[in-house]
Amino acid sequence: MIDQHEDPKFEQWLKDAAQSYNAPRPTPRLEIWKRIEETRRNRHVIEIRPWMRWALAAAAILVIGIGIGRWTAHPPRANAPVVASADSVRSDVAYQVAAQQYLTRTEVLLTDFRAQRVRGQLDPQFVAAARDLLTTTRLMLDSPAANDPQLQPLLEDLELVLAQITQLPAEPGRKNEMDLINQGLNQRSVLTRLRTATPAIPAGPVPVRAQGVS
Amino acid sequence: MDETQLIARVRAGDSAAERALYDAHVDRVYRLAFRLAGDDTLAQDFTQETFIRAFDRLGSFRGDAAFSTWLHAITTTVVLNGLRKMKRFRQREADIDDAQSIGVTRRDAEPDLKTRLKKAIDALPEGYRTVFVMHDVEGYTHEEIGAALGVETGTSKAQLSRARAKLRVALSDFAGEWVP
Repeated sequence: MIDQHEDPKFEQWLKDAAQSYNAPRPTPRLEIWKRIEETRRNRHVIEIRPWMRWALAAAAILVIGIGIGRWTAHPPRANAPVVASADSVRSDVAYQVAAQQYLTRTEVLLTDFRAQRVRGQLDPQFVAAARDLLTTTRLMLDSPAANDPQLQPLLEDLELVLAQITQLPAEPGRKNEMDLINQGLNQRSVLTRLRTATPAIPAGPVPVRAQGVS
Repeated sequence: MDETQLIARVRAGDSAAERALYDAHVDRVYRLAFRLAGDDTLAQDFTQETFIRAFDRLGSFRGDAAFSTWLHAITTTVVLNGLRKMKRFRQREADIDDAQSIGVTRRDAEPDLKTRLKKAIDALPEGYRTVFVMHDVEGYTHEEIGAALGVETGTSKAQLSRARAKLRVALSDFAGEWVP
């Protein structure tokens, strides 16, 4: 028995007509396979360098710390003792350097994107740098950093912006698409939030926070 | 060599077997990714991620179901998660487009069936659209859809029925084409 909502004629017509919906081109098998191989090869390089994973994890932990610190921090008490072992100081330095590099590079790249938007064309090196940062961002999203409710949206926005940038071909006449990406950047205040999250660390030796110094 | 042997060789680190397994399944994965994403670059990204995850997790494939079923479950997870992220970012642009379209007669603005159909399918709720695309466009069975999406077969059937009903309303201007 045919359900009252069923209409075989309509269903057949719909099936036929829907074949035009997002009709795929022939599968670019070789192209995708090369990308799979390249990604896995690069990942193996990372895996044989434990310090890189450690640095990324450290960056993620630091960013959480910075975020939490900025939202919960109170001015240090004048008489609060400074307790910092040599190990924790070394860890702080590594954390700060790794996080600063990631956040600063992303900030610089997005600022540069705005400049390149005027020309309506991206440099191939720029797209390569964006792809590199996209990988790092995804690692951050897979790290404990993504558990932070305020940092996670920033990382997700960065992932989306970088993904959109990496999809732009490095050729002229892309201004409209670049304008749309920039519009998204502005609407979600991505650069402002990124700059707020970037730790203000001088280029020289990383200072250890001393008592009473804000 | 059957697929079970091929998978065993992949697990043993045979790169030629990896490529053979990829070749056997990439077309269907890419087609589904393209149908759902509507964009070649995204479809390639999703296909790439699907196979990377599949090779990484092949050790957890127990063989209870067909390998293709297991692979399509990964595909739908990758594609739908990816599209959700993109959708969130583009929501504002879509809102602006919608606001600008107020007062425009849809029939006049979109007289072409292909365009209307695409808009109508795109406007379906995610679950309805996924089931409709998998079943009516790509020819998956309800059993395959249920396994890929982690839902009961009956749920897949119900969602397809609702999707068709919504499309019938959205395309009522073209009723003459299916009513003799």
